[in-house]
Amino acid sequence: MTPFLKTMLLIAALASAAGGFTALSLAMSRHWEGVHGRGSAPASRLLPRLRLLGIGGLLLSLCVCLFNWGSAQGWVAWAGVLTAAALGHALTLTYAARAVMRIGYGAAGLTFISLLAAILA
Amino acid sequence: MKEGLRLSMAWLHTWSGLLVGWVLFMVFACGTASYYRDEITLWMTPEMHQASLAPVDQDVAATAAQRALEQRGAGGSRWFVTMPTERDPAVRVGWVPKPNKGQGQGQAKAKGRRQFGSAAVDPATGEELGKARETRGGDFFFRLHFDLHYMPVFWGRWIVGVCAMFMLVAILSGIVTHKRIFKDFFTFRPGKGQRSWLDAHNASAVLALPYHLMITYTGLVTLMFMYLPAGLNAVYPEKADAFYADLNGGPARDAKPSGTPVALTPLAPLVAQAREKWNGAPVGRMVISLPGDANAQILMTRQESQGLSSQQPSITFDGVTGRLLSEANKDSGAMQTRGVMYGLHIGRFAGPMLRGLFFLSALAGCAMVATGVLLWAVKERPKHLKARLNSNSGGVGFGLRLVDGLNLGGIAGLMLAMAVFFWANRLVPVGLAGRPELEIQCFFTAWAIAAVAGLAWPVRWMWRVQLVIGGLLFALLPVLNPLTGGAGLATSVAQGKWAIAGFDLVSLAFGAMLLWAAKRLGKVKLAKAPKPQLDKLDKIDEVAA
Repeated sequence: MTPFLKTMLLIAALASAAGGFTALSLAMSRHWEGVHGRGSAPASRLLPRLRLLGIGGLLLSLCVCLFNWGSAQGWVAWAGVLTAAALGHALTLTYAARAVMRIGYGAAGLTFISLLAAILA
Repeated sequence: MKEGLRLSMAWLHTWSGLLVGWVLFMVFACGTASYYRDEITLWMTPEMHQASLAPVDQDVAATAAQRALEQRGAGGSRWFVTMPTERDPAVRVGWVPKPNKGQGQGQAKAKGRRQFGSAAVDPATGEELGKARETRGGDFFFRLHFDLHYMPVFWGRWIVGVCAMFMLVAILSGIVTHKRIFKDFFTFRPGKGQRSWLDAHNASAVLALPYHLMITYTGLVTLMFMYLPAGLNAVYPEKADAFYADLNGGPARDAKPSGTPVALTPLAPLVAQAREKWNGAPVGRMVISLPGDANAQILMTRQESQGLSSQQPSITFDGVTGRLLSEANKDSGAMQTRGVMYGLHIGRFAGPMLRGLFFLSALAGCAMVATGVLLWAVKERPKHLKARLNSNSGGVGFGLRLVDGLNLGGIAGLMLAMAVFFWANRLVPVGLAGRPELEIQCFFTAWAIAAVAGLAWPVRWMWRVQLVIGGLLFALLPVLNPLTGGAGLATSVAQGKWAIAGFDLVSLAFGAMLLWAAKRLGKVKLAKAPKPQLDKLDKIDEVAA
C-alpha cells in the first residue's frame, strides 16, 4: 500500500470514529442539552437512530482499520483510533459545544471523501 | 452488598494507586518516550543530523556489516547485526570483544559488566558513520523505565514489577468502583476543583482503557521468567542460558570454540536464502557466534513488521559452509502467546501512524497517573483544613504534606529533569571521559533538587516555578538544537527529516503545555473555596495547589 492510501485510510478511520462518537453522545441527554441548549430533548424516534448511526460509525472505523493494518494489527490500531477520537470528542463537547454538529457532519463528509480517495488511489 | 463491594474497591483503588503512583508516573513517562527511542537517540547525536543514507538492498547491507565487523570485532566471541529499517537507515553492529589477558572473562562476568563494542555503519560502504558524541540517548529512558538506576538491575526490575502489579490492581479496582463509566464517558467539566480532577482522571483512564490494561499486563509478561521462574527452573535447572537458546533459536551462549581458525562464510547469500524462506520478508537481526572459528554459527531473525508477535521465525546457518542447520518457526501456542504479549508491549511492529496512536494513548496513561495522585491531595485537603479550623493546631497533616511534596517532585520535577537531560546532552563538552554518565548525573541532580525543593515547599508557587523552568527548557530545545550543531527546524522540515523535526515540534508543544499549566495555576486563586475558611487560613492559601 502506498503512503497516500495508508494516510487516507487513517483519516477515514479517525473521522468515522469521531462521527460515531458524535452520534452516540447526542443520544445522551446531557450532551444533547450541551449542544442544543438546556431543556431541549431529541425526538424519541431519533434516539435509536442516533445510537445505530454511532455504532455504525465505530464499526466502519473497525473495518477500515482491519483493511489498513491487517487482521492482527488492525484491532490494536482500532483501539488507538477510538482513544484518539473519543479524547478529541470529549474536548470538543467541553470547549466547543456549539461546533459539535458541524464537526459531526464534517467527520461524516471527511469519512466519505477519504474513502473515495482511497478507492480511487 | 453491591455498594459494599464498590466501597472496598474504592479503598483498594485509592491506596494501590497512591502508594506506587510516583514510580508509576516515571515508568509511564519514560516508557512513553521509549516509543521514540531511536528518534531521541538521533536528536541527541547532532553529528548524525546531516548524514543521509540511501536505502540499500539487504545483501549489500549484510556485506557492509561483515566488512565492518571483520575490521573492528575480529577475535570477538559474538557479533550482532541489526539491519537497516525505515526508522533507522544505518546498520548497527555490535561485538563482544576478545577477553583481555589481564582480566579473565570469568572475572568480568562475575562483576556483571561485560563490555560490548558497537558502531553505526553506512549500509552501502561499511564505513563507520562519523564519530558521534557518546550518549545513552533514548536508551536511557528505555532502561530507566524497567531497570531504574543507581541500583542492581535485579532490584530495579523487582521494584518496577511490584509497582506494575499494584497498577494492574488499581486499574481493575478502578473499573469496579467507577459507577458511571458510560454515563460520564465524554464528560469533562473544567474549573470545578475536585470534580474537574476526577473528570480528567476518569476520561484519561476510561478512554484509553484498552491501552492501559494491555501495557500494564504485557509489561509484567515481558519479565515473567524473572518474576515467576519456577517453571523455567524445573525444566532447565541451573541452565537459563540453554532455555533462552531454545526460546530464541541458535547456538547456546556457552558454545565452545574449536580453536581452529576458519574464515566466516559471506553473509549476503545467506540473507538471500533466508528471505526466500520467508516469502521475501527482510532479515531483522543476525547473531554470529564464534566468528572466524570452525564452530561458527549464524542466526538470522525475521524483521518485525507484520503481525504483532516479537517472536519471529529464525534460521541458523553453519558459519563456515553456509549450510542450513535449523529453522525455528516459533508457531507453538505458548510461544506465539508470549510473542504477541511481548510484541504488543514494545510495539516494534508499529509503523509511523500506529506508533503515533500508541504514543497518544501512553500520554493519556501519564495523565491518568498524574491526575490520580493529584486527586488524592485535592480530596484530602478540605478534611485537613476543617480539622485545623477546629483544633487551631499546626499546618496540614504530615501525610498530605508528603503527598503534595512527592506530587511536585514526581510530576513537575521529573518533566523538568527530562528537559535537563536533553540540555546536558548538548552542553556537556564532547569527548569528556564518562560523558554518558555525566548526562545521566545531570538528570538525577536536577530531579533530586526539584524533589527536595518540592518536599520543602509543597505549595502553589513551587509548582509554578518548576513548571515554568521545565516549560522554558522544553520550549527552547528547538532553539538549542541548531545552536549546538544539530539540524534546526527550518533545515529538518525542508529536508523532510521528520524524526528530528518531530522531536523539536513535540518539545515545543510540551513546553507550551507546561507554561500554560503554570499560567493557569497563577490565575486560579482560592476564590472558589468557601469564604469563611479563607479569612482564618490566608496563610496557607498557597498550599492549595
